[in-house]
Order: sequence, then C-alpha cells, then structure tokens
Amino acid sequence: MIVAEQLTKRFGDKTAVSEVSFTVQSGKVTGFLGPNGAGKSTTMRMIVGLDSPTAGSVTVNGTPYRQLRAPLAEVGVLLDAKAVHTGRSARNHLRAMAATHGIGRARVDEVIELTGIGSVADKRAGKFSLGMGQRLGIAAALLGDPHTLILDEPVNGLDPEGVRWVRQFVRHLAAEGRTVLLSSHLMSEMAQTADHVIVLGRGKVLADAELSALVRAWTSNTVLVRSPRLSELAAAVSGPDVTVTAAEPGMAEITGVSAASIGDLAASLGIPVHELTSRTGSLEDAYLALTGEAVEYKSKEIS
Amino acid sequence: MTALATEPATRSRTTSPYRLTFGHLLRSEWIKLVSLRSTWWSLGVAAALSIAISMMIAGASSSFGPGFPAVSAVLSPTQFTMLVAGILGAIVITGEYSTGMIRSTLTAEPHRGAVVVAKAVVVSALMAVVTIATYAVSIVATAPLLSEGIDWSEPSQSIVPLAFGVLSMVAFTLIGLGFGFIVRNGAGAIATTVGVLFVLPIVVTMFTMAGEGWRWIVDLGQYLPMNAAASLTTPGGEDLVPAVLALAGWTLVPLLIGWGVLRTRDA
Repeated sequence: MIVAEQLTKRFGDKTAVSEVSFTVQSGKVTGFLGPNGAGKSTTMRMIVGLDSPTAGSVTVNGTPYRQLRAPLAEVGVLLDAKAVHTGRSARNHLRAMAATHGIGRARVDEVIELTGIGSVADKRAGKFSLGMGQRLGIAAALLGDPHTLILDEPVNGLDPEGVRWVRQFVRHLAAEGRTVLLSSHLMSEMAQTADHVIVLGRGKVLADAELSALVRAWTSNTVLVRSPRLSELAAAVSGPDVTVTAAEPGMAEITGVSAASIGDLAASLGIPVHELTSRTGSLEDAYLALTGEAVEYKSKEIS
Repeated sequence: MTALATEPATRSRTTSPYRLTFGHLLRSEWIKLVSLRSTWWSLGVAAALSIAISMMIAGASSSFGPGFPAVSAVLSPTQFTMLVAGILGAIVITGEYSTGMIRSTLTAEPHRGAVVVAKAVVVSALMAVVTIATYAVSIVATAPLLSEGIDWSEPSQSIVPLAFGVLSMVAFTLIGLGFGFIVRNGAGAIATTVGVLFVLPIVVTMFTMAGEGWRWIVDLGQYLPMNAAASLTTPGGEDLVPAVLALAGWTLVPLLIGWGVLRTRDA
C-alpha cells in the first residue's frame, strides 16, 4: 500500500506537485494518468526517495522509502528505462543491483528469463533498443520479488507481444495481492489493465476512483440514430436532459435517453429507423473531459 | 506463537530473505567497478605509463651521478599517473549521472552516505592493489638498469616511500571521486580534478619568480596534493606529518562536500 499525504514538490517557483493525497491499494492495479508535465513522474520519484518532497509525506507499507530495510524486496521500481549504465552488460547490471540485497545469481537468471532478454543479456545496455531497455528495467524491478511495483510508462516502446505480457503480468501480480502503480499514456491499454485510476493534472489530483465509476461519471452514453424522418423523431424525444446533435443528413447523436426508449418511441409513432447504435464512453473520453482544462502543453486543433 | 501473531502480516517482511547491508553494497559497487571497460582502460594506461617511465628513468640514471635513490625510478611516474587515477575516481560517479544509473543505485540503497563510502572503499582498494602490482613489476623491470639497486635494509629508502606512493595514488583517486560527486558532470569533474592535481602546482611554480611578496603562495603550494605527495615519496624525507595531513584534507573535504551535495540535492 502506498499512502501520499499532502505531497508537494516545488522546483524554484514552479509547483510540480501540489498537496497531492492518495492511497494505492494492494490487490489492485492502479493507473496513474495525466498529461505531460502533470507531475506523475515527480510523484513516483518522491515515493522512492529520489526527490525530497517540499512538503507532505509518502509511505510504502507504512514506512518512508528511505527507511526501508530491504527496499528492493519491498518495492520494485521502473522510473525510466535509461537508469542503466550504458557501458555495462544487462546481466552485470542486474548482478550489481541484486548484490545490494544479497540476491543470488539464480534469481538474476530467473528475471532475465521472465522478461525475455536472455539472448541480449551479455550485450552492453547502451546497445539496447527502447523495448529491450524497458524489459531490462522491468527485470531490475522484479529482482527482489517485491510486494509493491511502481512502473512509469512500462509499455513505452514495447512491441504488441510485450505490451500484452506487461498487462497480463501486472494483472497476475495484483491477483496475488500485490500493489501495482503504473502510468501510461495509452488509454486503451490502461482501460484493459487498471482497476482503479488516479488522474493528475497540473500537479493536483483531478480524480481518484474505480475505472468504471470514472468512465461513468465523465462520459455520457450516446445513441446514434439514422432515420429518413429524423426531424420528427428528434422532436419526439426532446426533453430537458436530452441533446440531439445532427451528425450528417439523416443521422444524429442523441444523449440523455436510452436506445431502447428511442426505439420504442419510433415504433409507436411509426417512424422507420435504419440504425440505432448505443455507444458507451471510453476511458479516453473520460480522461479528455477530465483533463481538458488542465493540459499544460496543448496541441493545436487540426481544422 | 503469540509473538508471531502480533507481527504485522506483510508478506515481504516475513518471507523475504533479502537484506540491504553495507557488505552487500560493497559487493555491488565492486561488481559495478570491475564490469566497466573504462575502469580497466584507466588502470591499464596508468600501469603501462608507470612501468615504461620507470624503465626510462632507470636507464638514464647512470648519468645522474651517485646518490640517485633507486626507489625514485619507481615512484617518479606518479606525477603523470596521478591524472589517470583522478580521472578514474571522477568517472566512477559521473558515469552514473550521465547514464541515469545513479537513480538505480539510489533506489537500491537510499542511504546516500553509504553509497559515497562504498564507492570510496571499493575504488581505493582496487587502486591500491593495482598500484602495488605496478610497483612490483617496475622494481623487477628496473633492477637490471640501475647501477645501485633499492636498499631494502633501509626503510626510508624503500618501503616507506613506496607505501606513501600507494597512498598518494589512492588519495588522487578519491580526490577525483569527491569532485565527481560535487560536480556530477564528467567533463567538469575531470577538469576540476586535473586543475587541482596538475595545473595549480604549475601556477604556484610561476609565483617563485614573482618576488618575496608572493612567497606565501609558494609556501601554501607545498600543501597542494601533488606537492604533498612528492614530499612523501621522496626517499629519506623528514617531518612527513604536514604532508600527510594535507593529502588527507584534500581527500576528505571534497568527499564530505560531495556527500552533502548528494544528501541534499535531488538525484
């Protein structure tokens, strides 16, 4: 379990993280979302004691990271794939990391096997591709068989097989009762992996909820309707909570009323309906709705 | 049973056999040091340079006239090899900053003081061993070239200057390590180390020509690392305490500042 209380980090006069409080539960995969510059990485760095908070505190299983007696056996960390000396082979990197905790060669071989880097383990890490570097970082995080895993963008640069492996692996770890906190920009991937989501924006917690509850709260179900007598149907469904948006001639997106009600209404009025599709919101929709105001580096709309 | 039952049932604490200890940390730093090519390049260059220059000096020693202490042939190359030692010390830590390895190091061992001490111990030990081996080869290689061999019956002409030579090489390495921890940037740390070890003594020498008013700078210059090491490795030297203290100060102060920097700044 990771508990952050009023965690704050300022760099000069810029506040990267502002009074952030959250709890990452064990037995779940918690997704850490937010636009670039939202403070995700800084928060993760504070959890593992690389950055000192300006104010507030954060503990792992009730203890500040710097006071853990066997950090690698309690917390596995992947902050970025480049936290490896480029002149050292992957195997020697893992051996050196393992040695700090008296972890033997057998376990080093095990994590090499597990992450599928056996064929390149004796090459220098500087020659690794992004994906291989990512696997090496995950291997290092697993060395101590930790109860808590903190993975910053673990699937960044991985091939589809690797992405699926990470998803199944972290689901498996959570099922064993471990704590998993991972960040990703791939919304579809996060939707399939996370149980719980914490969304950061401009250094503040924008949302902290079960994934399904978050999607429900921040998206609306829309119903796509295609009909030759659309205007009559639109007039019939209109109500205070109902919005009808014309998408193209003969087609509209209606929110605030279920597909079943629209179908029933059309049948009772004898209006032919050519298409009636119910669309649930996605995590991406919820995320964009939530962070719309908090995006620091906004891209220009393509018109 | 009751004692066990009151223990919090956190899985990792009860079952993990792994422990972070200083001994384990030393082992880790040792693996890191010897698994980099740059370490062996530095040590190889230092050893080759040292042995080759020793042989050159020994070969020319007959023209120096009587009274040239044989052990000086072995120790004189230090004024060149000290730079390699300083650079090795610096890159041991700056290489971790430039590659990002430092973040892995500090998540495995969050006690930053322990990281400084472990690195210092490991790199000192390796430098000492390699220097002793280099001296041994130099002694054997120069023996046929010297008209008068090393007088082993007189410690002040043999084992004492040699021991101080080993100590000086270790000190130069640690000076580089200290500046590496402070500056973090490879080029900056190497420039600072070379400046202190090599350039400052030359600057001080220039003041000997500047007249009596600048005498104090020349006097202070005796306490620069290279000059302190030179007095320690001169056979038959007397009153070595100030030189030992100077060298110790140059070694410990940058390391202490480096530890302070590591402790207070974000990695």
